[in-house]
Amino acid sequence: MEAFLAGMGAAFTPYMLWLILAGTVLGIVVGALPGISGSTTTALLLPLTITMGPTGAVAFLGSIYCAANYGGSITAILINTPGDPSASATAYDGYPMARRGEAGRALGMSAFASAIGGIFSVIVLIVAAPLLARLAYQFGPPEYFALALFGLSMVAAVGGESASKNLLAGASGVLLATIGLDLTTGVERFTFGEPSLSDGLDFIPVLVGLFAVSELFERISQRGEKLEIIKLNALKLPTLADFRKCAKAIGLSSVIGTFIGVLPALGATTAALICYNETKRWSKYKEEFGKGAIEGIAGPEAANNAAVGGAMVPTLALGIPGSTTTAIILAGLMIQGVRPGPHLFTEQPTLLYVVFGSMLACNLLYLVLGFAFAKAFARITLIPDAYLWPGVFILSVVGAYAPNQSISDVWVMLAFGVVGFFFKRYGFSPAPLIMGLVLGKMVEETMKQSLLLFDQDWSQFFHRPVVVTLFAITVLGLAAPVIASAWRRRFPKIPTPTAG
Amino acid sequence: MNRQDAVVAGVALAGAATAFALTFKFTSTTPAAMMSGMGAEFFPRLVIGLIAILAVCVALRIGNPGMEKPAPIPGIVWITIGLMAFYIVMLEVAGMWLASFAIMVGLGWLWGERNLLKLSAVSVILLLVIYGAFVKFLKSGFPVGLWA
Repeated sequence: MEAFLAGMGAAFTPYMLWLILAGTVLGIVVGALPGISGSTTTALLLPLTITMGPTGAVAFLGSIYCAANYGGSITAILINTPGDPSASATAYDGYPMARRGEAGRALGMSAFASAIGGIFSVIVLIVAAPLLARLAYQFGPPEYFALALFGLSMVAAVGGESASKNLLAGASGVLLATIGLDLTTGVERFTFGEPSLSDGLDFIPVLVGLFAVSELFERISQRGEKLEIIKLNALKLPTLADFRKCAKAIGLSSVIGTFIGVLPALGATTAALICYNETKRWSKYKEEFGKGAIEGIAGPEAANNAAVGGAMVPTLALGIPGSTTTAIILAGLMIQGVRPGPHLFTEQPTLLYVVFGSMLACNLLYLVLGFAFAKAFARITLIPDAYLWPGVFILSVVGAYAPNQSISDVWVMLAFGVVGFFFKRYGFSPAPLIMGLVLGKMVEETMKQSLLLFDQDWSQFFHRPVVVTLFAITVLGLAAPVIASAWRRRFPKIPTPTAG
Repeated sequence: MNRQDAVVAGVALAGAATAFALTFKFTSTTPAAMMSGMGAEFFPRLVIGLIAILAVCVALRIGNPGMEKPAPIPGIVWITIGLMAFYIVMLEVAGMWLASFAIMVGLGWLWGERNLLKLSAVSVILLLVIYGAFVKFLKSGFPVGLWA
């Protein structure tokens, strides 16, 4: 209780409130920019946290994470181009509603459903994270090794259509994590004599390149696609009838979204798409879906924001990212010298309560800001690419350069931008690469520690029930997409569930 | 096996082979007995082996539904990449602010905006905001150029 009060006290100081407000506004603004996702926003703004200290950084990044999801829905509804992939399901019904002159009502429901989903998941986070941490406190290196492998195996389900390509990207990320000094032997690995690589590849230039710069190349390669932009006169409060109609969708999606968020590597996009289907399945007005059903906005919006809090549970309690954005937040904390995991709950409880407090405050804040400045936020979607993307590039350069004041980092950023662009062209998602990069060190360290503990006897892994269970889930998780893919090839005409 | 997947698998295998060759350059002064069979090359080689297996899976379309041929890359993408590389070189010559102003106007013009006055004004405003946030607030330093 003392830690809780201290944490809340720390979360609500004027400086922290200012950071939460700044994170929320920046999250909505950048999240609403067409083509810029929550992960890109977080990666782009990560360098700003270098001087903030761990508590400030986590409050700022947590606020951006929450608000960017809501910001993405503005673009999805007004121009049918989700600012964030997690808002893609929102566009199915949001855009048709906007086209028939109900943009304000659609955005109003989006703000409400997002806030309710977000607040619900933060409450789950407050309750579940310490419980999970208490359980994980008894974990040793073998359990962590199995857990990290499980987290990496889940990347098979992230982005892209191909499980083997996702795993290939994840493994490449793990290999990139081996760059630098090997802590056991003191040997330099893959550094090519470059002293700046001794500490490993810097996260920031890699993240900014993979998410922001590659997106820029993607955007210009698709130049010329005309968008129909719908004007917004005012944001309208959903009516009581709207609430009654959407209550079940919001409740159900908040629960499902939080649960999906908790699963490592599965984030807001998966949650939103699943909940869109579930909302449609449970709705009395199925025929309205795809033509502008308000439930079609409430369900995915509650889900994608609920997934945010859910994704923070494994990130904070186990140090295993629950989503791409939490992988970036995890990288941000590692830059600050903080390694999330169960020990965080005993060693730095204040930091955790700051996370809880800031996420709670952010969810309330974007509800207020969303209504007060809806028209201003909607205007962001009108910024032409010729102004927006050069600005994003300069911000990327500044972000990559500023932390170490190194031109090499800017080259690394550009190189990873090109890599990210080719990744997407060939059906890869950059998210697994980041997961691999963030978890790579943990996999290697825990594997080596376990083998020392077991005196090089690999079979000892199978004498520990938690490890065996995690290995079994990992194998099942890896086999499932392969079986599904083989099944689809054998029976190509069997329809798979779609969001629409 | 389609051509795109073969290209992906080929690039991954070539990368894995290069990385594997590089692991022979890891030279340690630690006695072998103290490393307990876990030299610096042990883990990277394990991962490289996994990458090679996954590359074969991609080529054989195991857990990979295959993909259509991607559309050709428009010339504007290559010009943009070239301009960006030139800009990074120019950062140390012309300095952060002048080079950034030039690249913002240049990229904006390349991507279809012909109102140079408007482009210049927007670039100056954004650079002022960045200057305020990073130089004044976060106390970051940036390349000042050869003549500063």
